[in-house]
Amino acid sequence: MNAVDVRGVSKGFGDVRAVNDLDLRLERGRTVALLGPNGAGKSTLISMILGLRAPDAGTVRVLGGTPERAVRAGRVGAMPQTGRLIGGVTVRELVGFVQRAHAAVARGPMPSLDELMAVARVSDLAGRRADALSGGQAQRVRFALAVAGAPDLIVLDEPTAALDIESRRELWTAIRACAERGATVLFSTHYLEEADAEADRIVVVDRGRIVADGTSDEIKRRVPGRTVSVDASVLPDPAGLPGVVSSEVDGRRVRLHTTDADATVLALAAAGAVRDLEVTGASLEQAFLTLTHTEDPSGTHAGTHTVAEEIVR
Amino acid sequence: MMLVHYVRLELLRLLRDPGYLIMTLVSPLTMYLVFTNLDLGGGTGSDGAAYSMVGMAGFGAIGAVMTSGVSIAEDKPLGWIRQLRLLPLAPSQVVVGRALCAMVAALPPIAAVCLAGGLVNGASLSPGRWLAVVLLLWLGIAPLAVLGVGFGYLLTAQKAQMAGLTVYMGLSLLGGLWFPIARMPSWLADVSRVTPVNRYGELSWQVAGGHAPTLAGTLVLAAWATAFTVLAVIGYRRSAQAV
Repeated sequence: MNAVDVRGVSKGFGDVRAVNDLDLRLERGRTVALLGPNGAGKSTLISMILGLRAPDAGTVRVLGGTPERAVRAGRVGAMPQTGRLIGGVTVRELVGFVQRAHAAVARGPMPSLDELMAVARVSDLAGRRADALSGGQAQRVRFALAVAGAPDLIVLDEPTAALDIESRRELWTAIRACAERGATVLFSTHYLEEADAEADRIVVVDRGRIVADGTSDEIKRRVPGRTVSVDASVLPDPAGLPGVVSSEVDGRRVRLHTTDADATVLALAAAGAVRDLEVTGASLEQAFLTLTHTEDPSGTHAGTHTVAEEIVR
Repeated sequence: MMLVHYVRLELLRLLRDPGYLIMTLVSPLTMYLVFTNLDLGGGTGSDGAAYSMVGMAGFGAIGAVMTSGVSIAEDKPLGWIRQLRLLPLAPSQVVVGRALCAMVAALPPIAAVCLAGGLVNGASLSPGRWLAVVLLLWLGIAPLAVLGVGFGYLLTAQKAQMAGLTVYMGLSLLGGLWFPIARMPSWLADVSRVTPVNRYGELSWQVAGGHAPTLAGTLVLAAWATAFTVLAVIGYRRSAQAV
């Protein structure tokens, strides 16, 4: 039985199709990153997995049943993208409430509140008022609320957005501890290095569809290109160069994304445009930009569509 | 029992905001003492005192439950409603739990006005009737507590406040809490009799006068309670939609 089974799901808001005929299956016990630009449909997909929204078409199954049933059985823990903590209660009272709400439906023994607060790294905040915490502390408490019921599936919508590096590291230590207990973790992120470092599997979403799905290495490999960069002052029109599908200017350098680095370099050499030449493989970031057609204001992306379409096929 | 945990948490939050609890009893208590001592109330003597006492205690209770709707609406932008939705709590449990908390908030104005009625204005009732009046003032507020909760889920804080104020002032006046509906034109009195507020007051007026609550009144209240509960549950489910 999969942790999550999404089949042919679509969801629109007015004219916008936020999620478009999407299929996604998550095996249990893995950590999966949902990667995509703003407006790609990540949050909409997550809200359907959590049963907060109903899909227009298709089905969503969570742990073998409807999302609502999985939530009501206390088997899902979630940390939505936005949200602050309520006032009038301490961190311990708040986490304790969520834990007790889960304990009432738990099928097995639950970790104690102290143990739970230690795993989520919020023990030091126990007596603090929940609405008087710093951003990083509040985020850790929100994470503690998501895992307070020892859920089988943990869904985190951009858990580390707007956190400083120290807080991010702290939160990831806590998330990893939960993953090691066998929970399935699905998280969305903007941070490519985070997906690269933390996920067993990366699902790249763009415009409501999955455009790539695999390990970090697999995704990098699926971008056929290399990047050739040279000093901008000597470069002829990049459009005429063989193999180049897109280019971008970064200060004094031009980066040419090419499907045939050899031909591109030879053409540059023939044009006398070789100065500080550098050839690199695709990074996850380049793969991501190529796969999601993210517009780069300084570059021309005439060819990216074809590349991305090739990859999807 | 999950409901208990939830009620306990929300009560904790309520009791840590004593300013709110005090505010809810200031205006009904003041109005009660002013109205009765200027003889604007329902009549003279002990009967009149009991009539106004029930009216103003009920008025205060409505104010308190409507104010708690506003605090629910204020929880929404925090994502608290959605957080609850992601817990193993049935929507009806959350709605009932929150309505119970609103009913707790209605206790101070009920107690304050009844104390003033007994001690200052000389409303004299037998101990059994006192108990029944106070109990029905408290239990009878349940449908309106659910309505206040529903406003909180369905509306923004500002609109919940407007809606609450409309019920608080408008329905209290129309429902006869400020002066008896017998003084209204008969068509208006007929309208008043289908409002939950009039039937809510009627429960305690009946008992104070030594009668049992009427069947028609109880049915009207039950019908409103059902409608408001459906509204509140829909509002709760809707308010949690966005991630």
